[in-house]
Order: sequence, then C-alpha cells, then structure tokens
Amino acid sequence: MDNESVIQISNLTKIYRDFWGRKKVRALNSLSLEVKKGEIFGLLGPNGSGKTTTLKLLLGLLFPSEGEIKVLGQPASNVEKNEHIGYLPEESYLYRFLNAEETLDFYGRLFKMSAEERRKRSAELIEKVGLGHAKKRQLKEYSKGMTRRIGLAQALINNPDLVLLDEPTSGLDPLGTDDMKRMILELKAQGKTVLMCSHLLADVQDVCDRIAILYGGELKVMGRVEDLLKEQDETQIQTSRLSDEAIKEIEQVVAKHNGKVGTIDHPTATLESLFLKTVQESKERPGQRFVPDTQEKKAAE
Amino acid sequence: MSFDPIPYDLFDALKHFLTVFGSTMLIAVVVCLLVGVLTRGAKGIGDVFFGILDFFNQIIHISPRRIWSLSTLTIRESLRQKILFVFIIFAVLFMFAGWFLSGAADRPDLQIQSYIDFVLKAISWLVIPIILLLSCWSLPEDIRLRTIHTVVTKPVYRIEIVIGRMLGFTLLGSAILLVMGTVGYIWINRQVPESVRPNLVSKVPIYGEIKFTDREGAPSAGLNVGDIWMHRSYIEGATKARAIFTFKGIDESDAINDELNLQSSFEAFRTHKGNMEKGGILYQFIFVNKDKGLRVDTAPLINKEYLENRLKINRKIMHESEDGKEKVEVDIFDDLVDDNGNLTIEVQCLEAGQLLGMARSDLYIRTPDHAFLSGYSKAVFGIWLPMVLVIMLGVTISCFVKGPVAILTTMTIVLVGFMSKEYMAEILSGKMQAAGAIEAWYRLITHMNSQTPLPDGPVKFMIGIVDLGIINFLWLCQQIIPNFGIFSNMREYVIKGFDVSWDAALLPGIVTTAAYILPCLIVSFYSLKLRELEAK
Repeated sequence: MDNESVIQISNLTKIYRDFWGRKKVRALNSLSLEVKKGEIFGLLGPNGSGKTTTLKLLLGLLFPSEGEIKVLGQPASNVEKNEHIGYLPEESYLYRFLNAEETLDFYGRLFKMSAEERRKRSAELIEKVGLGHAKKRQLKEYSKGMTRRIGLAQALINNPDLVLLDEPTSGLDPLGTDDMKRMILELKAQGKTVLMCSHLLADVQDVCDRIAILYGGELKVMGRVEDLLKEQDETQIQTSRLSDEAIKEIEQVVAKHNGKVGTIDHPTATLESLFLKTVQESKERPGQRFVPDTQEKKAAE
Repeated sequence: MSFDPIPYDLFDALKHFLTVFGSTMLIAVVVCLLVGVLTRGAKGIGDVFFGILDFFNQIIHISPRRIWSLSTLTIRESLRQKILFVFIIFAVLFMFAGWFLSGAADRPDLQIQSYIDFVLKAISWLVIPIILLLSCWSLPEDIRLRTIHTVVTKPVYRIEIVIGRMLGFTLLGSAILLVMGTVGYIWINRQVPESVRPNLVSKVPIYGEIKFTDREGAPSAGLNVGDIWMHRSYIEGATKARAIFTFKGIDESDAINDELNLQSSFEAFRTHKGNMEKGGILYQFIFVNKDKGLRVDTAPLINKEYLENRLKINRKIMHESEDGKEKVEVDIFDDLVDDNGNLTIEVQCLEAGQLLGMARSDLYIRTPDHAFLSGYSKAVFGIWLPMVLVIMLGVTISCFVKGPVAILTTMTIVLVGFMSKEYMAEILSGKMQAAGAIEAWYRLITHMNSQTPLPDGPVKFMIGIVDLGIINFLWLCQQIIPNFGIFSNMREYVIKGFDVSWDAALLPGIVTTAAYILPCLIVSFYSLKLRELEAK
C-alpha cells in the first residue's frame, strides 16, 4: 500500500451554534486522523458520534470551528478537489424527477466529461449497480435499495480517486449489501481510497482495512481491523467434524501443554450466508424448495 | 403614468446605471461587512474582501457547460412541477375574455385598446407571479431536501449554482412569454372587427420640445388654470400667447403620401360658454422657419376634445407672399424645416376668453405607421425585463432565507417598487411636513397639526433620533428597491396604439435590470459561500 496521505485531519473541532451564535452542540472535539491512499477506512460510532459531521467537513458542506483538513492535499473548501472525489450521502439526495440515465448524465456534465464519455460511463455504471431494468424510471418510483444503488453510481461517475460513503449499506437488503461490499472491494482493487462511515459493524469488518471509532465527537480507537480484533491470548483451530473420542484426546493434548479448552461446538453459518445461499439456489432452481445444509439433511442422505 | 415619452439618451442611461449600480453595490458590500463582523468578528472584514476577490476569481473560472447543465436541470424541475398548467389558466381566460370585453356601444378604437390591455395584463399577471414563486422556492427547496449536497460536492462553484438557476428560470420564463405573446397576438387579431382592423397599427410619433409665450409674446411657462392637471399649461385665446413645438430631425421620410400628419389632443378651458355648436374651440398651427423668415398659417381648426385630432397637410402649401400680392407655394420639408432639420410649429388659440391647454405629448408628427407587431413585441419585451429582475431578486433572496420568507420578501419588494417609489422619494425629499413616522404618530395622538412646531424638550429630541433612523432605513430601501413602475411604460404606449422608440420606452428598464445583475450575483454568492449548507 502506498503511504501517501489522502485525507489529513488535525485537531478538528466542530461546534454547532444557534442563530444568535450560542453554542448548541460540540459535534467533534480535536479529532486527528489520516487516511492513506488505497485503503478502505471505516469511521464507526453510535448515532450522534460525529461520523457524518466529519464527512461533511471533508466535503466543505460544513466549516470547521477549529483545526485543519486536507483532502487530496488541498483545503476542504477548495472546489477543484471535488474533481477527484465521489460522495454517496447517507440518504441518496438525488433529483427525484430524473430517471437513472438522466441523473448520471446530469452529474457527468458537472465534470469535464464529453457526451460520449458520459453515455458510456452511465451505461456501464447502471449495469454495474444492477439498475439496467429500471434506467428509464423516475427516481421517485425507486425503492430505497435502488436509490442507494443509483446514489453509488452517481458517486462513481467521475471515476474518483477518493470515495466517501455515508452509511453505504443502510436500507439495503442482504443481497444489496453484499453487492455494495463487493463493489467497495472492487474500488480498493482499482487502487481507490474509500472512507466509509457506518454503524453496521459486520459490514465494516468485512471490507475495511483500518477503522476509527468515535464517541461523543472524540476519537476513541483507531487501527487495523485485524489487529484490533485479534484475541492475543487464545488459539482457534477449525477442523472437519470429529468424534467424541477424538475430542477427548485433543483435550488431553491441550492439558499436557498447560492449555485449557474453552468451548467445543459445531460452528453455525451466519444468517446472511444462509439468505444468500437460499436466493442463489432459488435463482438456479426456480420452483423448488431450498433445503438448508443441516445435520438432519445429512442424516437423511 | 403621464403619457409623455421623454427622450432618454445613452448618457442619461449611463448616469442611471451608475446610480442604481453604485448604490446597490455599496449597500451590498456594507451589508456583507456587517454580516461578516457580526458572525466572525474582526476576521469577518478580511473574509468579506477575500470573499469578493473569490467572487471575481469564480466569475473568471465559471464553466458554461456546468451552468447550462444546472439551467436545464432548473427547467426540467419546473416542468415536472407542472408549471405548464399556467397555460390552462391562460387558455381559460382567453376562451371567455371575448364575452366580457366586446361591447357594441364601445368606440372601436377603445375596444382595440381594451383587447391589448387585457392581453398584456393577463400575460404579465400570470408570468411574473409564477416566475417569482419558482425562483424563490427552488433553491431553498434544494437545500431543504439536501439535493444540493450532491451538486456542491462536485466541482461546481457556488456562483455557477446561482447563475444556473437564474438562467434556467429566464429561459423558461422567456419560452412561456413567447408562447403567450404569440397566442395573445393571434387572439387580438381575431377579436378586432374587420371594420376597424386598419386601426390596429403601431403609430410612430415624433415628439418635439415645447415652450410657451404669454399674451404679450414674451417667453413664459404658460398659464396654470388651477391644480387640475399640472401636466398641461394653457395659452390664452386671441392674444400673442403661443405654444411653440420644435420637432428635431424632420425630413420627407416622415411624410405619409406626401402629407405631413399632425395629431393633437389639446384640452380646452372655457371662461365663458362660447359657441358650443361648433364642437370645439378654434385654433391654428403656424409653421415658422426663422432662417428663411417664413411664417405659414393653416386654416382655423376645431379642437375636438377627448378625441385625437388628426390633420393631414399636403407638403405643398399655398402661402401669401410677404407683400401680400401673390400666392407662393412652399414645401413643408424643403422650405419650413430649417437648416438644422428642425420644424417649428406654433399653436395659437383663436377664441378670445378661451384657453387651450397642452403638454409636449399633446402634439406629435405621425410618421408612416409600423405593423402592430412592432409595438406589441416591444411591450412583450417590456414584460420580459421585470420578469428577469424578479428572477434575479428571487434567487438572490432565496440564497439566505427559506422559501416562504423569500417569496414574501420578493413580493414586497416588487409591490413597493411598483407602487411606492415615488411616495418614498417624496418623503425623502424633505418637502413633506412632519413626515417622520413617530412624529406623525405623536401629532395624531396629541391632536397637533403639522404646522405647529413640536415643543422643545427630550420628547422632541427622542422623536428626532428615532425618525432619523427610520428615514435612513427608508433611504436604504429606496436605493435597494428597483423602480418597477418604469417597466409599465411600454405597455401603456402600445395600449394607446404607439410604437415608441426603444430608447424612450425600454432603455430605462434595460438599464435598471442590468444595474442589478452584479450586485445580485455578489450578494447571492456571498450568502451561499458563508452559508453552511448542512447546518443543523
């Protein structure tokens, strides 16, 4: 990974004030962090922790009360930097009277893109986010999931170097979530930098290289996901199904090495993987009922 | 309005532009400074100047492609908001208007006037309020729904958003105006009865300058017969009193079929009943060319009041020679127009004891008529100008307040600018007695008339201080609020059947509109730049 900084935030504070200039909320307090080129960085935190505020400060939608922000080496207020940025807002704030093609064409025109480039890129993105069947429908007729998809497409219209995603999987079904995560990983594979904020921790865990956890506007934890989640004092071994005798022998071996076996269980799949498998099977064998890969099924076989 | 097309040359236009532009710019900068200081303290002053520099930087770097994209979005948005329903209202109005506007008892010329009046009023009363609502509502709605987030996070300058909106609404309004104007034109042509269709033309007048002499022939301002209508001055009959009209730049191209057409509408003031059977007071035109020492009289004419008196005079006039022995032929354009191209016509009232009143617009040379479309299209352009100004004000105001407030503010500015500018100017001139609001209120509750001086003391002092503040605020409003009254000039001319030159009729409106462009752009840019589009 390149060590070049794409985002640099130092001592960033944001205080919301009322009409009379009185302090209302301190949304961010002396936040400092750095996002490197080519990584997927997750900003986590409960509601009101300052994730979206940070994102909007990076985009120049809000002005910092204190501190400094550099995005792609330029101040956040600099409009030119947006040439290389893609942004997916928390809710897809798009013009509901446009259809998917018109939406992408409109946003494409705001960049230095020729008509041919816009047409090609729009068609490619519409297929990529799976909206080919609905490209002529006005966005007001779209479901929330579809709106998120077209929102992502507009964020990518300019083939940005830095993609800022605010709750990218919110409102998506597991299939959509899976697609979104796949697309985020594709962006990383293309060498793009992604900063996403979310409170859906499983999604963040699946895709992010590094995370920062905010609480009350302050940075509490920051680091690589695998480093932060690794249990240093324990060892996990996953094998094929073993008999009771074999398990007893393993326990003896562990005891011999002064170890202690914690839990022995048959691992369960996640509900998400079951759901995805069911949908996949249903597509391949329409009309047939899907039987999950359970112990009963194996016994019956 | 006084129907008096005063010539308005480019120098006047430049002065007018600089006055409006300078005062609005000054106020815009002062307001920005105040806002800057109040919100950011001393740093705010620097921010304002850097902000203005940034404005010019952005203006230099604006992208026509992005502006066009934002404009088309604005148009599309308005169309999807069913803006075109306005045409249904328009169509309904026209379907039934004929029933109410046609009247067999009406004079045909008045009937034509009522058709034109109806069409132009219907268009302006439909287009301007709708455009006002759209332009005030659009940007705040974009901010409220946060759709603006996906735009400002692209490489788009804030000034481009403002210009894009203004241009979009202007194009949309222009298209609506064009359609309505065309329909209106066809409708007028179909409604006007065949018998009076020849009257449906645009008269092209040449107005002169007017001077008066008194009963002894000495220069004067004419007689005032009482404060009936200050517009006209009067000359006394059967004396040396004259009204002297000087028309500039006259040549034979101003003739119609080798005739000089003079059209007049003088007003009589009778000191005795006189001979009523004649149908009016007798008067006479005298053509004067001092260079050649010629004075050529017309035959006595009867002034028919409240009607347009049209006199066609053959360019060749038989005239008695100086010695009175023979008749010589003089040519109006060759002999009576002086070396500088001026034609001087004196008007003399011929009846003793009667007075004839006139203003400069009461006598004009009618040159070959233009097609009705010529004047009509100028009148439609005269609606387009205030529409553009309303768009600029609406978009500017909507940059710093919410939609409903922007609508109310813009509407107030338009109404005050249309109805109260002259009244404000009168108050500010200092000629009105007890014009201060608090002083007037104090006099009202203490039953004190406006002539009695206020008693000295702290009350007078306090009233003076508060009224000074109010008067200064009024002065500020007077500078900021455009004079919408000037835009109705062209409409009035066309209703009366004239095609007045664009500089007299439209140049004041063009100048006023142009003067507001830059101040509006600066204020809106600064408002959007200072505004956190995501402030909670």
